[in-house]
Amino acid sequence: MASVLDHQRRRLQACFAEHGVGADDQSRITLFVQSLKAINSGVLARLEFQPLDWAPWKFLHTQYFRELEMSTLLSRATSWSTNPLVYMEAGTLNLGLWSRTRAWDYMQAPLEPDARFYRYLAMSHALLSVVRLIPLLPPSLPLDTPFLQALHDVEEENGRQIQLQIRLLKQLELGLSRKEREALVEEERDKVEACYLELLESLCPEQATG
Amino acid sequence: MPAFEFDGHELYYELHGREGDPVLTIINGLSMRTSHWGPYFQLLPQAGVRVLTYDMLGQGASSKPVLGASFADHAAGLHALHAHLGIERPYVFGISFGGVVALRYAVDYPDALAGLIPVSTFSELDAQLRGHATNLYVGLVRVGFGFYLDLLMPLNFSNAWIAEHQELIQLIRRVGVSTNELYGIQNLMESMAGFESMTEELAGITAPTLILNGEFDWLTPRHLHDILRRGIVNSRLVLVPRVCHAFTLEIPQLTSRLIADFIHQVEGSGWAGDQTVWVSAEDPQADALLERCPGDHLRAIPLPAERPKRRKSRSAASSTRVKAPPVRS
Repeated sequence: MASVLDHQRRRLQACFAEHGVGADDQSRITLFVQSLKAINSGVLARLEFQPLDWAPWKFLHTQYFRELEMSTLLSRATSWSTNPLVYMEAGTLNLGLWSRTRAWDYMQAPLEPDARFYRYLAMSHALLSVVRLIPLLPPSLPLDTPFLQALHDVEEENGRQIQLQIRLLKQLELGLSRKEREALVEEERDKVEACYLELLESLCPEQATG
Repeated sequence: MPAFEFDGHELYYELHGREGDPVLTIINGLSMRTSHWGPYFQLLPQAGVRVLTYDMLGQGASSKPVLGASFADHAAGLHALHAHLGIERPYVFGISFGGVVALRYAVDYPDALAGLIPVSTFSELDAQLRGHATNLYVGLVRVGFGFYLDLLMPLNFSNAWIAEHQELIQLIRRVGVSTNELYGIQNLMESMAGFESMTEELAGITAPTLILNGEFDWLTPRHLHDILRRGIVNSRLVLVPRVCHAFTLEIPQLTSRLIADFIHQVEGSGWAGDQTVWVSAEDPQADALLERCPGDHLRAIPLPAERPKRRKSRSAASSTRVKAPPVRS
């Protein structure tokens, strides 16, 4: 998977260096990122109805609102495409994301410190860290458009928000061995990576075979 | 892209130079990649040294375990990589965080190296270094990866180099942000939280050891390298003039010469690990590259070395006591 992702990153760097990031690709990226944020904030929204007597509550609460903020920021900064095919393809990608991650599993019942919650943490860690878009841009391309600046802001905020996932994945005691926890984390990561790869393949379609 | 699988993770590596030449293994510092050693892939093979460099777990192109890895894991991974490549007695060079991994490797696998080169590094965390590490960590997790790199730049490079390379520094920053994963670097930094002093274990290192310290390395200053010198019996400390923590990036020609000369001395049985302190010339082409350090090498003020203190007899001490000046009313 790593080499396939690497190949796609190189292809996109070359494409964006030549053509910049046009409205079609901006729309595809934003729709995908908004879908990630919808999954995470959809799970976190449940906490707004739960009692405050759990130490991580305030961090989960903060992440909920930050996810909404980043989603709307990116939406406002996007030059939206007028091509209906872009939205149809994005819908298919997003459906794959929801079904692969089984996001609805985490939205059925209150969140508690259990194995299901640990799996949610692994999935949301992957959502915040696997899907990186700034590395797709050539380093010499200035981040001086509203869209690129917003993408940069989303990634920086992801780095701050993921602290919650990092702490809990490392410290939450659920009786799982290190190997079991590593396996579970990798499993969720593989799902998100597969969806991310599909997004990359959909960008710069005229050079998709490059 | 060559990669070696170890314990379920991939280690990305590069090997440059002629088979049969002594091998130098380079262990990166935090947020470094194999490509940072580009000039060494030319310079060292020209000097008869083969170069193996790799990305440690958590950074570069290697796997980034979400739950982290310990120093012992890094040393074990490197030992397995050497075995995989059939390298029995490499010279192990490590800078900064990678220097600690190199020390761990030398302690854990004393028969699996021909020489050790710890650079800009430490065996224990003192109050200042712990403070720097905390600041870098907080900058990374509370502000972001770009800010963490901004904090490092003036610690890593000299004034002159920064002034001459403004555009390159912006590029390094952007590439650094793009090619690293915050959680991977964070995991490496968090492995420092449980770091226990290795100073007592230094006595177990018997390999010839060249310790390199930049003159103006305020992140890991002189006294931390002197702890290594005093602890490793078969060592020498070399001070590299006018450079800072990441001097290997700034002066690859000089650093390559220091490394190659050391390796050829050991290979030719000309090495004398006598725990002495030396100063390098600035010119990598200098005929005599090293000269003994005059004065007190632990001072930034160039004072002569302190003479050993003699105990004075009570009568002598009282006769030399300075009288207090009369108080004027």
